[in-house]
Amino acid sequence: MGRFYKIVYGDYLQRTRSYAFLITLAASLYAAYAFVPAHDANYTTLRIGNYIGVSNSAWTGYVTAMMTSVFLSIIGFYLINSNIKKDIDTGVGMIIATTSITNFRYLLAKTVSNFMLLFTITAIICMMSIAVFLIRPGNHHFEILNFITPFLIITLPSLFLISSLAVFAEIVCYRYTVIMNIGYFILLIALLPSAQPISPVFDVLGVKTITTGMEQLVMNKFHLAEAKTGMGFHIGNKGHISLFEFEGLQWSAFYMLSRLLWIGIGFGLTYFSSLLFHRFDVTERVNKQKKQKPLSAETIQAPTAKTLKEIRLGTLPKIKPSFGIGLLIKTELLMLYRKGPKWLWLFNLGGMIALALAPVNIAHQMILPCLWFLQIGRWSDLATKEKTNRIHYFTYASYKPLSRLFSAQLLAGIIISVGLSSPLLLRYSIAMEPLPIISIFLGAIFIVVFAIFLGVISGGKKLFEVLFFFLAYSNINKIPVLDYFGALNKGTNYMVMMAVLSLSITAISYIWRRFEISRL
Amino acid sequence: MGCHSIISTEHSQMQLDIQNISKQYNKSKFGLKDFSLTIENGILGLLGPNGAGKSTLMKMIATISKPTQGSIALDGHDIIKNPDYIRQFLGYLPQDFGVYDNLNAYEFLEYIAAMKGVGGPNLKPRIESLLEGVNLIEAAKLPIGTYSGGMKQRVGIAQALLNDPKVLIFDEPTVGLDPEERMRFRNLISDLAENCVVILSSHIVSDIETIADEVAIMKGGQLLTKGSQAEVIRLAEGKVFETVLGSDELNTFKAKHLVVNTIRQKDGIRTRYMSNEPHAGSVQATASLEDAYLFLTQYKN
Repeated sequence: MGRFYKIVYGDYLQRTRSYAFLITLAASLYAAYAFVPAHDANYTTLRIGNYIGVSNSAWTGYVTAMMTSVFLSIIGFYLINSNIKKDIDTGVGMIIATTSITNFRYLLAKTVSNFMLLFTITAIICMMSIAVFLIRPGNHHFEILNFITPFLIITLPSLFLISSLAVFAEIVCYRYTVIMNIGYFILLIALLPSAQPISPVFDVLGVKTITTGMEQLVMNKFHLAEAKTGMGFHIGNKGHISLFEFEGLQWSAFYMLSRLLWIGIGFGLTYFSSLLFHRFDVTERVNKQKKQKPLSAETIQAPTAKTLKEIRLGTLPKIKPSFGIGLLIKTELLMLYRKGPKWLWLFNLGGMIALALAPVNIAHQMILPCLWFLQIGRWSDLATKEKTNRIHYFTYASYKPLSRLFSAQLLAGIIISVGLSSPLLLRYSIAMEPLPIISIFLGAIFIVVFAIFLGVISGGKKLFEVLFFFLAYSNINKIPVLDYFGALNKGTNYMVMMAVLSLSITAISYIWRRFEISRL
Repeated sequence: MGCHSIISTEHSQMQLDIQNISKQYNKSKFGLKDFSLTIENGILGLLGPNGAGKSTLMKMIATISKPTQGSIALDGHDIIKNPDYIRQFLGYLPQDFGVYDNLNAYEFLEYIAAMKGVGGPNLKPRIESLLEGVNLIEAAKLPIGTYSGGMKQRVGIAQALLNDPKVLIFDEPTVGLDPEERMRFRNLISDLAENCVVILSSHIVSDIETIADEVAIMKGGQLLTKGSQAEVIRLAEGKVFETVLGSDELNTFKAKHLVVNTIRQKDGIRTRYMSNEPHAGSVQATASLEDAYLFLTQYKN
């Protein structure tokens, strides 16, 4: 047990000591503050028909727990889905493979450390919600159980399942993280609460059963035939909203059992993962998959081909100075093109055809953000791959690394984002609509500089992956404040704001990278 | 000064002048402390135990790390203020470098050439010649991710020679190379040193011993000595001895003397050691660079 605990503890420590975690934590604190709006706020997060609860302990506790369950199911997976990859990248996995630890024990430790990470965020959100409740004016009685119980029953089982799902996904998709990212995105859309009532057994996030109970309460109290739940950030339109007193729900045995069931499924998934686990025999698998190729590095290593030959520097063809960045852009594009499985380009092609053929508002509002989201793996390490691949020794010692390489990376990323949106740009051009064209250009630039900015400040790709996922999900749900490519926001003020924002974060990234290089 | 003119300048004799540089990490921790050294054309071998500051020094000369104090000048040009001066004719092979696995060797070298700011119509034949030289021409179109450690190391050597380097920095270059490759690599460095400043660090004293014109021994971020091999070896002369010990004597012996190496023989253990007061029956031995290195880093201090 001691060894198991040490693996979990070690994992937990190294992951919580990262910028990405700290920034996510800061975002979570803000989210906790925003989950239960003050009564004079211009938005709601949970509406039952035209009703919201008075801000007592029960309403605050339940809403925060449900929103956390949804929020962490959206971003949590992306925060934790590289736990085993880290062991592969650092070589620690090779050492682990030679120890007596069983696959199940190792993967269970990974599941538990994933869970601990999400639990830390949950605990902080819970404490923040209590603090907000106590600080905000109101004469409501503070009941701590109304805060803790919903988190324990609604949120934690979901998080355990997501923790085990991340482990499973890492085992199954260890070579293609992009499939993992996109696959989860699709799964999540299926998991999130729908309008249709479902049995608690299928209520993975534990939210639907609670909102159904709330709907029933409102219908009974106000003699209504219907009271549909609206969950998410709804801005404005609060005029017709009334208050109701919510004192909590009875936790049915069936619901409690269903929550335990999902924890059990989490354990089962971890066990199933252990049957498929490669135990860090990754290279061999790669070679096996490549053995169809007629030529490989292994076959070339004939004894005579192993050694250096004579090199006379003076006899080598003379080269000239060449300070253009064309070749750098070309290679950056080549690397972006080769990132992820090749067949993903078929999806890109399909997305571009859909952009050309679908109704223009759907193409702009829905297809474009999805198509860009497919590039998450390409853009996420645009400005961090030098460090993760230990190329920075070459790049930082190269000629004018900032103005040349940084610009090349930026331009290559933008070429991809603009290129993918070209069918839509063409349609707007034909329709002589310049404003959407400018908006899409600004969006294409923004998403790339956003990737670079988050990569530079966090030193990794995780933060961008988490936030890009959140952005894509919000875009599909048509949340205007996060529409960065002008699908919903049409005004020129918005365009100026996007241009200023992109310029600002580019400048910060540039200065940050310069500072980083200077203090090596 | 225009970049073109810098590159086209033929440097018959170059001088790298390092004056009083320090790298301070916190109040008490130094990577390098008040370090001064002048390096001219030829091969300078850097020797020192782990943590001596060899890699820190090399990173500073390669302009990827800045000293907290002091100056580094190449032919009078301050490379701390103007790192691009040296970068145009710098060849650097770091100790622990990586590659982009999804590029092939040719594409990777092309990319590094672009970063170094070199090109022109001869770039392609030059890359091919280098790949031929490092014996990777057949594997040049395969992703580097499929290469062995030695093959990657050879890609690293090729990239260091892409831009007609005048200053070459090799940090532990023979790691991953087999004995024959090591020998060929030493020959390569000897050829390069005719017109270049070559700085080479290695844990393998024999690599340095075979090719270095001058040797600098470092410890704890400071320079202990610098000179020709003969000058450095002279410091240990008269202090190296050999004797034959019984196997039960060795531990007691080690407590009194610095044992350099031992060879188990039929009549006992032939022991090479350093001492100011030799053991009875010992024979004085000719000092080697390894003896001098151990004398300076372990015995003298």
